Amino acid sequence: MIADLFGRKFYMASDTIGAWVMLTLTAILGIILITRAKKWPIIREYATTTHHRKIGVLYLLSATLFFMRAGIEALIIRIQLAFPDNNFWVFQGEKFNEAFTTHGTIMIFFVAMPLLIGLMNVAVPLQIGAQDMAFPYLNAVSFWLFLAGALLVNMSFFMTASPNAGWTLYAPLSTDTYTPSAGNDYYIFGIQVSGIGTILAAINMIVTIVRHRAPGMTLMKMPLFPWSTLITSFLILIAFPVLTIALYILMFDRFFGTSFFSGPEGDPIYWQHLFWIFGHPEVYIIILPAFGIFSDIISTFSKKRVFGYGSMVVALAIIGLLGFMVWVHHMFTVGLGALVNTFFAVTTMLIAVPTGIKIFNWLFTMRKGVIRFSTPMLFAAGFIPTFVMGGVTGVMLSAAAADLQYHDTYFVVAHFHYVIIGGTVLGAFAGIYYWFPKMFGITLNETLGKLHFWLFLIGFHITFFPQHFAGLNGMPRRVYTYTAEDNVFVFNFVSTLGAFLMGIGTAVFVWNIYKSFKKPQKAGDDPWNGRTLEWSVPSPAPEHPFENTPQVVSHDPVWEAKLHRDGELPKASESRTAPIDVVSWQPVMLGSLMLFFSLAFIYHVTWLQVTLGIAVLGFFVVRALTDEHTKKAKEDQAHDNV
Amino acid sequence: MKKLSFLFSCLVLFLSGCSMRVFNPISETARDQSFLILFSFFLMMIVLVVVFVMFARFMWKYRETEENKHTIPEDEEGNKAFELTWTILPIILLIVLAVPTVRMTYDMSAEVTSNPANAVHIEVTAQQFSWTFTYEGGVQTINNVTLPKDRPVVFHLNSKDVIHSFWIPRLGGKRDVMPGENRRLIVTPEETGTYQGKCAEFCGVDHAKMRFTTEVKSQQAYQQWLNEEKKEME
Repeated sequence: MIADLFGRKFYMASDTIGAWVMLTLTAILGIILITRAKKWPIIREYATTTHHRKIGVLYLLSATLFFMRAGIEALIIRIQLAFPDNNFWVFQGEKFNEAFTTHGTIMIFFVAMPLLIGLMNVAVPLQIGAQDMAFPYLNAVSFWLFLAGALLVNMSFFMTASPNAGWTLYAPLSTDTYTPSAGNDYYIFGIQVSGIGTILAAINMIVTIVRHRAPGMTLMKMPLFPWSTLITSFLILIAFPVLTIALYILMFDRFFGTSFFSGPEGDPIYWQHLFWIFGHPEVYIIILPAFGIFSDIISTFSKKRVFGYGSMVVALAIIGLLGFMVWVHHMFTVGLGALVNTFFAVTTMLIAVPTGIKIFNWLFTMRKGVIRFSTPMLFAAGFIPTFVMGGVTGVMLSAAAADLQYHDTYFVVAHFHYVIIGGTVLGAFAGIYYWFPKMFGITLNETLGKLHFWLFLIGFHITFFPQHFAGLNGMPRRVYTYTAEDNVFVFNFVSTLGAFLMGIGTAVFVWNIYKSFKKPQKAGDDPWNGRTLEWSVPSPAPEHPFENTPQVVSHDPVWEAKLHRDGELPKASESRTAPIDVVSWQPVMLGSLMLFFSLAFIYHVTWLQVTLGIAVLGFFVVRALTDEHTKKAKEDQAHDNV
Repeated sequence: MKKLSFLFSCLVLFLSGCSMRVFNPISETARDQSFLILFSFFLMMIVLVVVFVMFARFMWKYRETEENKHTIPEDEEGNKAFELTWTILPIILLIVLAVPTVRMTYDMSAEVTSNPANAVHIEVTAQQFSWTFTYEGGVQTINNVTLPKDRPVVFHLNSKDVIHSFWIPRLGGKRDVMPGENRRLIVTPEETGTYQGKCAEFCGVDHAKMRFTTEVKSQQAYQQWLNEEKKEME
């Protein structure tokens, strides 16, 4: 099928047409259902909100949607690889390459990150006794910019221009010489726009944690999830600008004929360095918050405080620091020389030490406790053995000489899925089950939750365990087929079966959310017998959760209050100023403007670039002239004079 | 029971690993790498077993039952001696792993600049999606490389377009092939036979099909083959 758009001819493959049909039907169905249930006011409320809980929910909702999309891609990849010389639908060559590129990109940037940032938004302000994030308006802007970027990358498929150079986008393959289609421009602008949102979110988190803790909550009395959030935010602040720069100069190479990554002056190695200086901290950005979530959950469900709290905090910080000193372990085969390779091999091994400290501290938190296996705790329990398996393959990979064999094979694929799914995804699921009452006032169904856990975990191990062997038997990454002589058929076939089991598990999770809203089980303020401040406020958390600012005198203040004060938190004599929540269409509009601004660039429409650029800048002017604090003070005065 | 059978099948899978290409080296380089992989694996198994045993034990022993449902466990902050133990022991373990790693990494990186005597020099040109091999004397083959047994081979790698990665699993680890730069890889095959070679770095549409075969012949047969090829050229 051929279509004309922006003066270009577009060829449409059958999978794209199918996706369009499905998208249209889903949209129509959605509109009908929303109208029939009279839910439009709720949509408006969420679109204009600046409240941290609702923004957190928006993050989680979009992440779940993208998780399903990238999950379907994963299944497509697995079906294509189920048999040697398989020809599934259109997914060979280019289409397959696009599938694994967008699978990786979306899973990292638009699933792992928003799942964690969403949980941070929901839980962190409540855990530290703050009334909201420090900058509510900026928080909304962060989300809508993230969504604009995510929509760009997701759109690319519908525009028959998916990114196709792998999520690592290695130059010179990603330059316009070798991939002239708009696909990688979508990648560049999508990640760039959502990256701005992520950086702003990080600044917001840092200021919230530094300025808005309840009186008496010193940094060393703070729960570990806010701690991991703080350290992660610093990592984002340092790592993301590097990615911004890398994408910026790649954009120049693609659009304006510079040659940073090719030609006599340029060098493709520059891209690899820039990308991995961002990329390695990125993997710690998506694992540290999960560590924080697990710390809180394991402590709550074992009825014990976190074992070795001090060393847990130090371990988080050391992992964050070392995360910036290991990026070359992604580039051992480039041939940067003996000294470089050995240095980075040793620093990579060192990361195992603080990670090991954390693992043992979790084990000893459970020791001598009373462990209740509700769904969040099941995910935490499943995480420990799974993540340790991923961790030991990580240490094996750090041996540079051995990595010459592993590099770019399925062994690496198995390793990073073990740590990212075993850490981040299980952590996000645990967090969603754990804080669901705080978001909506209802608990998710326990039976379905347990079913989801077992299907997903068993499916996961069946999927990725055999891939280690496929890699050791010489199967490279990112290939769309293999031959019978390769002797990797059994591993791949088992892997495909496991992937479907994981898919069923995820479907159970989505079904569980639907069922729980259909037949709500009301949760109290404190469904899990919690220990930290978020369990002292109503579920769902209201706009101003803390009626009296609590005075924090110990670790786990709510638990301490239960033991010694009949559940009454001591009141603080001083109070913290609350950030001002506004209702505003501006963040959504800014996000959509950025989306069209990027499209104007991707399709080289100069007049549109200029117009939209001015419009985006206009928002800064409007925002600079808005003074909510003075307005609120005036309102309060008028209110008092009545 | 389910878990047991799963573990058993994993074990069977692992034992069948003896037939895996990476564990069937035909050169000293690949033998070293294979050793390092297995060595690090057994070191890591120690860690894995310790964690799994503790994990299973704590999970089982301290689970909630009808008796302890309402007990509040004793409060403990932590334990300095324990913390030191699980900091120092892993460091020792990593030192044990780091020593052979550093030594081998140095060996394998140093060989890039060395010039072995009696070596065969082969120019390897990678381009989307084929390999061209040029031998001394100008003989060219495509997607098929023939090597003599027991003589060091120096591959001079370069790429015509994007980054590729030159990999013969049973001969040893891979080396990236960069456009506009010369990289070298030196190996000495020790067994005759036919082996797979692959591009390991994603390089575009048909990356999966960018493969070549490696034939290792006895020195006599190699010489004979080379002479025949030269004749055909003329």
